[in-house]
Amino acid sequence: CNKALEVNPKGTLNEDQVATPEQAEGFVIAAYSQLGNDEINRAFSMYQYGNVRADDAYKGGGGISDGDVFHAMEIFTTSRPDQWNYDGIWFNIYVGIRRANEGLRVLSKFTQAQFPQLNTRKAELRFLRGYWYLMVENLFKNIPYIDENLPSDDYKLEPNNKYTRDQILDKIAADFEFAANTLPATQSQIGRANKYAAYAYLAKTRLFQAYKQDEKHNVTSIDAQRLQQVVDASNAVLASGYKLQLDFGNNFVSGSFENGSEAIMSVQFSTNDGAGRGRVNYGDMLTVPQGIGCCDFQKPSQNLTNAYKTGTNGVPLLDTYSQQNVDFVNNTVDPRLDHTISRPGAPWKYDPMRVVTEAWSRNVPIYGTYNSMKENVSPDCDCFINVAPFFGNTKARIMIRLADVMLFKAEALIELGRPIEALPIINEIRTRASNSTARLVKANGQPTSKYYVQPYTPGVNIDWNLDNARKALRFERRLEMALEGERFFDLVRWGIADKVMNDFFNIEKPSRSIYQNAKFTKGRDEYLPIPQNQIFWSENRYVQNPGY
Amino acid sequence: QSPTKVTGKVTDAKGEPLVGVNITLKGKTTGTSSDVNGTYSLTASDANAVLVFSYLGFNSQEITLSGRTQVDVILEASAKSLNEVVVTGYQTERKKDLTGSVAIANVGEMKKQVVANPIKALQGQVAGMLITGNGAPSSPTTVRIRGIGTLNNNDPLYIIDGVPTKAGMHELNSADIESIQVLKSAAAASIYGSRAANGVIIVTTKHGKNGVMQANVNAYTALSTYNRRIDMLDAQGYGRVLWQAYVNSGYDPNTNGLRYQFNWNVDPVSNQPVLNNVMVAEYLDNAHTLKSANTDWFKEISRVGVTQNYDAQVSNGTPNGNYLLSLGYFDNQGIVKTTNFNRISARLNSDYKMFGGGLTVGQNLSLTKTREVGADIINSAIQALPIIPVRTVDGMGWGGPVDGMNDRQNPVRVLNDNQQNNYDYLRVFGNFFAEAKLTKGLMLRSNVGIDYGDYTSRNWQKKYQSGYLVNNVNKVINTQTHNVKLTWTNTVNYDLVQNNHRLNAVAGTEFYSDKTTSFMASREGFVLEDPDYMYLDAGTGIKDNGGYGAKNTLFSYFAKANYSYLDRYLLSGTIRFDGSSRFGQNNKFGTFPAVSAGWRISEEPFFKKQTKIFDELKLRADWGKTGNQEINNNAIYNIYLSSYNITAYDINGAKSGVLPSGYYLSQNANPNLKWEATTMSNFGLDFSILNQKLYGTVEYYIKKTSDILLLPPYIGVLGEGGNTWVNGASMQNNGFELSLGHRSKIGRDWSIDVSGNFDAVRNKVTKLPSEVVNAYGGDGRGQNILGRTFGSFFGYVADGLYQTQQEVNSSAAQPGKGLGRIRYRDLNNDGVINDYDRTWIGNPLPKFTYGFNAAINYKNFDLSFLLQGLGSVDVRNEAKLFTDFWSATESSSNKGARLLNAWSPLNTGSTIPAASLTDDNFESRPSTYFIENGAYLKLRNLQIGYTFGASLLSKIKVKALRVYAGGDNLAILYKSKSFTGLDPETPAFGYPNPLVVTAGLNLKF
Repeated sequence: CNKALEVNPKGTLNEDQVATPEQAEGFVIAAYSQLGNDEINRAFSMYQYGNVRADDAYKGGGGISDGDVFHAMEIFTTSRPDQWNYDGIWFNIYVGIRRANEGLRVLSKFTQAQFPQLNTRKAELRFLRGYWYLMVENLFKNIPYIDENLPSDDYKLEPNNKYTRDQILDKIAADFEFAANTLPATQSQIGRANKYAAYAYLAKTRLFQAYKQDEKHNVTSIDAQRLQQVVDASNAVLASGYKLQLDFGNNFVSGSFENGSEAIMSVQFSTNDGAGRGRVNYGDMLTVPQGIGCCDFQKPSQNLTNAYKTGTNGVPLLDTYSQQNVDFVNNTVDPRLDHTISRPGAPWKYDPMRVVTEAWSRNVPIYGTYNSMKENVSPDCDCFINVAPFFGNTKARIMIRLADVMLFKAEALIELGRPIEALPIINEIRTRASNSTARLVKANGQPTSKYYVQPYTPGVNIDWNLDNARKALRFERRLEMALEGERFFDLVRWGIADKVMNDFFNIEKPSRSIYQNAKFTKGRDEYLPIPQNQIFWSENRYVQNPGY
Repeated sequence: QSPTKVTGKVTDAKGEPLVGVNITLKGKTTGTSSDVNGTYSLTASDANAVLVFSYLGFNSQEITLSGRTQVDVILEASAKSLNEVVVTGYQTERKKDLTGSVAIANVGEMKKQVVANPIKALQGQVAGMLITGNGAPSSPTTVRIRGIGTLNNNDPLYIIDGVPTKAGMHELNSADIESIQVLKSAAAASIYGSRAANGVIIVTTKHGKNGVMQANVNAYTALSTYNRRIDMLDAQGYGRVLWQAYVNSGYDPNTNGLRYQFNWNVDPVSNQPVLNNVMVAEYLDNAHTLKSANTDWFKEISRVGVTQNYDAQVSNGTPNGNYLLSLGYFDNQGIVKTTNFNRISARLNSDYKMFGGGLTVGQNLSLTKTREVGADIINSAIQALPIIPVRTVDGMGWGGPVDGMNDRQNPVRVLNDNQQNNYDYLRVFGNFFAEAKLTKGLMLRSNVGIDYGDYTSRNWQKKYQSGYLVNNVNKVINTQTHNVKLTWTNTVNYDLVQNNHRLNAVAGTEFYSDKTTSFMASREGFVLEDPDYMYLDAGTGIKDNGGYGAKNTLFSYFAKANYSYLDRYLLSGTIRFDGSSRFGQNNKFGTFPAVSAGWRISEEPFFKKQTKIFDELKLRADWGKTGNQEINNNAIYNIYLSSYNITAYDINGAKSGVLPSGYYLSQNANPNLKWEATTMSNFGLDFSILNQKLYGTVEYYIKKTSDILLLPPYIGVLGEGGNTWVNGASMQNNGFELSLGHRSKIGRDWSIDVSGNFDAVRNKVTKLPSEVVNAYGGDGRGQNILGRTFGSFFGYVADGLYQTQQEVNSSAAQPGKGLGRIRYRDLNNDGVINDYDRTWIGNPLPKFTYGFNAAINYKNFDLSFLLQGLGSVDVRNEAKLFTDFWSATESSSNKGARLLNAWSPLNTGSTIPAASLTDDNFESRPSTYFIENGAYLKLRNLQIGYTFGASLLSKIKVKALRVYAGGDNLAILYKSKSFTGLDPETPAFGYPNPLVVTAGLNLKF
């Protein structure tokens, strides 16, 4: 009779059943899979946390109460530790970390002889773990760091103040270093991380680490040794076969340009793949303009749009760009504007026949009429997927691209006091921008806007001293990387988030009612609060971030 | 003394002839019995002889002839007779021998209610059984016996003709039910061991009665409607509050994006904004297809519901066997459009006696087919914007949101597009048995129970365009689930009656297995949206499929013995030894013992000397242990799952096709998981006075549950792998129950039968192991549920609204505070309102519950009604989130009309917070603002009937005809003044319990 009581679970595996290298590969795939497991309120593209929270974009949508937690986040003053979105993104990132740790734990049971790919796969998992930790570190700062060696029973005992920011960034860098040293230069499968992806992220991590912070998030010093590590890691990437796309826009169109020469690492999306409507870009689904779908979130700010103005000398108006709104008829602009931001009267995604109108925007008086283009596609594309009632797409999302790494290097060089070496890097990016006008034409064959971009020429259009170089680098970074989820983290790294954001609020308040109560509090708002729910589950082992 | 021939007729109270009534002469052994017409004749020894009429289920009557030769007798049914036999699990017991707590439900009253689920109609009928449910056509019902005993599945175990089930009572035709017993105490229930902790409800279906050929037909129709609804804003009112929210928050109301325009100004005297005019564009869209409207969405989705029921039974009983055939049809068109529940049922209960009754084989078998179209739409209909039209101007397309409106669906479209999405459920339920009487008192029985369910559905998703909401791909999803439950029981029963000893014992084994397989297949891309076309093969788009399997088994040994001496001293013992596939090697088996004793004081000679008013006075006490194993089949295991949708990845960048997929950790093993155990001590007193002028039961129990099986929520850093089933908290329920009844006859024409019940239960969590200390709420810093009622509400104390700026300035720091905003109490007096200012703010358990049932007969008329109520209870009035706040929930949805009276500088003194565009003060936080007293008293059912006499009907070969009219949920007779919602029984959302008006007839042939 006891035999009748032996009933095995159905359709599940236990750890012992995952015994062959082939099965162990499944843990690595699942860890990659998490890269695309975001959803509308927890976008791994960081559009809410990196763009909306910064001066690049407004929340958008129907009104301030549509996704009100993100409104609270973008005005800072009403942001609360018990907001569900903070708890949500925290959890979803730790899912990614756990998948990587579980994979590493299972892989540790195999030998190289049993599993020739063992070290490569371990390195991929450590790469992914580093990616998630860098994301959660930049969002919350004081975080528990857990690796594959900690028994799961002890997870909840791990406090969030055991390691300093510097120590955590060091652990993250260690993962990327291991990956950079272990991974092959190329992988036969495009979705996998290779050596250069690891170097790129190593450069990024060391760059954040270089700017030392005190407990109140003040940048206290910039570590030259770390900066040199940024330069070294960046050089490894620059020496690889990755190249800037000839046209800036190639990075943001679907089809054969995906996973292109500039994209070092991308999230792969798919449809017709057996997973319902497909593994599409759920995270960014709400940023589709109302004119072609729903729901018009992530509205590029007027301030960002103004930043693309160029002067008669072909360079940005570093100090005065926001004094007057860009006039598209009379002003010259950087072509990257029309790759990044759409506006009424301009073609959508390089289709001269599909002209954006005001009706593409849901709430013009509050959020204006600009739309975000980089993550979006043409509605004619078979990659544009109706996940009723919303629309997603399957365009691969670039996690890190060569221009980003070039700017890391330029930034490190400038902070190392070697601005001259940074100049050609910045100018290479500017030259590419200048050459990226072919797609930007209207139905009558005329350019969408008046484009004029020149490289910086010391003594001609800029005095290339350290201060100006830093200013130019930071401006270039904003123009190049706009709406790619980086801006807010850049501002915090540079230690200027309070100044930039409060200046921005002051400039925009008269015309943007959403910011009427906005204020950035230095020493608090650089980071999100530790989710109240997690403090609860930690039984107060987690310490709340300062100011909350 | 000369022999006298006596003749007469024996009927029941309704005039129906009673067949086979035993008629004897007192003091003699001779006698006769009544024939099929109820008539008899016998020869009495003298003119003053005493005739004794006795009949099972009726009170015996003695009649002195006094010279008469014709004696017609009406026998009174003795439904509550002490000799009544009660099914208690693997055996039957005489009611007077019971020592555990067993309640016998009033099945007759139950059948009066118009609900698909017969159990729902027992609401308020049984002390200690709390029944809640909503008004959806299949009448989903929650049953809690003696409080909340656990944190997993609290549903009782149902035993229908010996076959266990935990669900699907709406698939049972109530006309088939003969009796329902509720086993409440552990001693009564422990024979069902590991599944008995939540109580056991034993349902016995009807059988043919020996010597009686009978046919019944019942029919009724009922109309149902809302008896109340939430008062929501209309298009104009929405505009007014919208404007107020904008000006309160300092935004320009004309930037609303919802197509409202306002003419307003700031009054120069009061310096307050004043609204002059609310304007709405004629059309919502530029293409002029959507005309702005004043839609009452709730009305648009509602209708008068119609319920119809027809059922018929024929039965016969002979010495060689009995049979019963029952057919039923029930159809409930719900009060929400398109919702429907429909049941066709057939039952064949028969047995065949062989070898002179030595061997009986037979079966009780029911076949039901149910069909249901559900809709979860009430919430969306309440909150849909009134300005949106149902249809486009041409009447063909759907209305829907434009621009700044939220992305909520048109509720009418949702109903309309889903109306064909029913499921069909075929269920075969019953048992086959063989029973052999070996020697006197010894009986072997083998019983095979089957419960087979076949669920199918063909669900379509249609294409639509509804404002900016679009679905451009249609899809069919076919789902099929097979579930087979087998119960094989072998028992030996032994009865011994010797002198003053009476022994009744049973022992046996039981094997139970529950197996499910399920699959789903879907396809997109159909050129026609037509029921004859929408089959998988006709689609041309993406295919998808899924499926799962599940199995669990139980194997048990059990024994029970009941002993009585002199019909005065009663003793009973039970033991069950249960093994479950859900537990690991070390804990597979659990032991569930029980003992009980009773003392029938009324039978004691010394007591009888004192008084004879007691028909019955019995003291009883019992103790027992029952179990709970309601956990996931796989709970003990470490589990990795391949869940394609979240573990697959396009690692090759192929953009489509089958993707490589992996696994993720979904659950950690807990091989030491063990039974959750409940021990209950029960003390009872049964009494009956003066031939049931007053009868009742008083009980007190202590119920302790330990090692509660739980899947606790966990800390975020664990990611996906945090699930581990554990044996968690312990809790205790103490309860008091009282049932009282009264029966009397006044003259020949009046009879009254009333009964009432009252119960009170207190619950507290008594122990919290460290791994689950925070799994039940609290603050994680020492405030936890320990010592409190499970499910208690935790949150802030709302301390009224800020009425003056001075109050605002002088109060504790509270982010978002301001005029007209809720002030929260600074419980720890640190000058800041934060996480540390939370406390326990409500107890969800009613102080007491009660029911009252009355049946009054006058001549051929009968009247009955049922009252049911709850004492004080804290309920969370969820509806307040949108009736009292503009932005506690998404603010582009419709809100309650209460907001027209919200606080504003010109309307100070209101208790409803000022409308604001965003919830900056975080007023949606759990707080006492939402906790209200949910006490109520309801008139659940009222019915008036008239029975046509047999004489009138004999010409048309009808034995009896009763017609009746009545209704369910007719009134809330009482609710607490502090309750601001509509129905405290359903303080949140859900399908409302409708007001039902019924008319029907019962026919007997």
